[in-house]
Amino acid sequence: MAEIAVGIDLGTSNTCVSMMQDGQVKVLDNAYGERTSASVVHFHDDGSVEVGNSAKAKGIHAPAQTVSSAKRLIGRYHFSEEVKKAQAVYAYEVVEAANHGVRIEVREEEFSLPEISAMVLREMKQIAERHAGESVTKAVITVPAYFNDNQRQATKDAGRIAGLEVLRILNEPTAAALAYGFGMGLNQRVAVYDLGGGTFDISVLEIGKDIFEVLSTCGDTFLGGDDFDDRIVDLLADEFVGRFGINPRNDPYAYEKLKLAAENAKKALSVDEETRVAIDDVMKNDAGEALGLERTITRAEFAQLTQDLVMRTFKVCDEALQQSDLTVRDLDGVILVGGPTRLPIIREAVAHYFQQEPRVDVDPDEVVSMGAAIHAASLVGEAQDSMLLDVTPLDLRIGVAGGLAEPVIERNTPVPIEQTRTFTTFQDHQESVQIRVYQGDHRQAEDNTLLGQFEFSGFEKGLRSDVRIDVTFEIDADGLVNVAAADQRTGEAASTRIALSSGLAEQEIEKIIERDLAGRVATGVAAEKAAGEQIQPIAVAGEEPSAATAKVAVDADSPFGDGNEDLSTGREEELDLDGLDVEDAEFDLVDDEELRQLTQEAGDDFLDQDITLDVPAGADASEGFFETSVTNLSGTDLDLTEDEK
Amino acid sequence: MSTAIDPLEIEALARIMDELDYYQLLNVAPQANSADIRKAYHSSCRSFHPDANRTLPDDLREHCGRISKRITEAYCVLRDTRRRKAYDAKRGENDGASTLRIQIAEARNAHVEARKSECRGATTQGRQFHAKAESDMKAGNFSGAIQNLQMALTFEPANDGFKRVVAELKGRQKAGNRD
Repeated sequence: MAEIAVGIDLGTSNTCVSMMQDGQVKVLDNAYGERTSASVVHFHDDGSVEVGNSAKAKGIHAPAQTVSSAKRLIGRYHFSEEVKKAQAVYAYEVVEAANHGVRIEVREEEFSLPEISAMVLREMKQIAERHAGESVTKAVITVPAYFNDNQRQATKDAGRIAGLEVLRILNEPTAAALAYGFGMGLNQRVAVYDLGGGTFDISVLEIGKDIFEVLSTCGDTFLGGDDFDDRIVDLLADEFVGRFGINPRNDPYAYEKLKLAAENAKKALSVDEETRVAIDDVMKNDAGEALGLERTITRAEFAQLTQDLVMRTFKVCDEALQQSDLTVRDLDGVILVGGPTRLPIIREAVAHYFQQEPRVDVDPDEVVSMGAAIHAASLVGEAQDSMLLDVTPLDLRIGVAGGLAEPVIERNTPVPIEQTRTFTTFQDHQESVQIRVYQGDHRQAEDNTLLGQFEFSGFEKGLRSDVRIDVTFEIDADGLVNVAAADQRTGEAASTRIALSSGLAEQEIEKIIERDLAGRVATGVAAEKAAGEQIQPIAVAGEEPSAATAKVAVDADSPFGDGNEDLSTGREEELDLDGLDVEDAEFDLVDDEELRQLTQEAGDDFLDQDITLDVPAGADASEGFFETSVTNLSGTDLDLTEDEK
Repeated sequence: MSTAIDPLEIEALARIMDELDYYQLLNVAPQANSADIRKAYHSSCRSFHPDANRTLPDDLREHCGRISKRITEAYCVLRDTRRRKAYDAKRGENDGASTLRIQIAEARNAHVEARKSECRGATTQGRQFHAKAESDMKAGNFSGAIQNLQMALTFEPANDGFKRVVAELKGRQKAGNRD
């Protein structure tokens, strides 16, 4: 029987699912006939959840219970800029979890970002099942090419939580190129200009018939269509302040209205030369009078407001071209991806920069999911072969003495790849070493993203000149990083392969899946509060054995939990975690006291090695191990050995 | 996806992979030009890339995974003129005992060495004053360290490493005074 595997473009603003059927790639519409669904999750008062465009519409009335743009936060640390920005902009609560993780708090219940994204993915799974008429459990999910390991891992976790086997984490521009070039026998060099809701990627590819080789990729995960909306929001908000002396930014409801108006204005300006924004009731003043706003925005004005954002994308393009040793003249085509590339100001600027008209024959909102579907089908043998040879977007580095991070695998290196480096201990008779792995382009360790760290003690202790520890770094075809350490001399299998931190520990993921399977009908606080009330299951028919799926496929005409998906608790438990069994890859957490000690020693000894004055300010390393690692970046016990051979 | 490659061939290659140099691995001549190398890489990927082997049994998939990573490494080195030159030199010296691989980030090591010397000083006097500054720091004498580093800077005015340390020490001093 044909195996079904779908392609899902999990976007910041919108999500789209496609599938190969009878040799044709089809974008699957939802129950409302919409081909993309807003990546928005709305939490109802009764604890049930709604996903998609209708959920987005509810955001105006209940912004604090409506989570949008989760992709901007997925795989980030709580202390990151993006999280601070989100806290300022979004009405929903963004709170800190252990290990500097991020949680969304809605109605007194905390959700991790992968859980939120899983709700969106489940919706896609359901849409696909409605079209396929059977269970869909395999998917290729796309991510921005510039996503780091933490973000990729978190996205993969989201897939698992949604009950999907993630066949491949695929880069969005690569997927788009595949959708363009699949089966065409092209021999071309192309650039994919991918401006999404929250991220920007540029990839340069060489297409040789069925081989799609990425030559370079560059990006900015802080730049997207949302930023263009924000410029209009600011314009409107400033105008409002000027007129009434009240700042609508401080009122979440008013802010939501401005955001929606801005988005509509932006879309209108794709078609018209000017548009009029008119909101009757932005907010009420102290006297209870409704204060409205009217404003005409011209395309020229919008272009001026966003000029710097457009220029920023071209700086990234410069870098990508430079990395691939090409100029715009070497390119045979430019492919536009992402909703914002519909904007005439962007199309014109792109045409000018690349000195050619960009190709727009495939819908920029759908092209990525189509490419993902083609690859998914080819992975399960349902479509003609095509090879995607991708690269890693960021330098992979290891922390060494002096607070520095040494590159081991440079950005734009093809994947999968593996590299082994040899290290020795910092001191004689050292008991263990801390191995810290980073991604980023900076020499100073702390300027990069920490992917994770682990302690290795399985080596033969001795003089530092004798100890040889091989650290092996692997980046797989998903762009995910694995690091293992082994004693070179004994060659012992003292090696422990450790998947680095994803923010969610393995046990946490299992717990979430279990909770979803067994208890999502009425979870946590929501359940207790609403005890006795009729509570609908979260819209998650997806989770199930095929028997239940068949039912969903037949019955689920209504998109959001009309009770049809009601899986009996008994059945849910039966499901257990079949097929999701993952080896127990736990971190051996370092005892805080021990680590502090180690760090202190290392700190004292730095001056022998390398000059560094990062005396561990992290003496308050008391919280989790990330706390420690972040403040103690200098406390590295490893030093590169001189050349081996 | 179907794979055309014979399981025996996979096993054999996995077994002897460590004895092959990058040219042998990619099955190209040492004189091969970049277009040939690229072509060979593509053709190897068709056989060994993880996407091409989803249907194979686990052990064979694992072999393919190892081979695929090594092929990528070979391609990374041979497609880059600078790295290829370094590799060819190493290959020429090879006595047959050691493995025929180099680090793809090796080219950057020279850069790292330069940075290290920047930290310790590039001139005799610079290094001397820097060493004095180090002992001062060990003794907790920050102002002494600053003075010595400033002396070191008169010999190496462009040494950013020294400048960074001075700035940091001054910051630390200030912080100390505030406490």
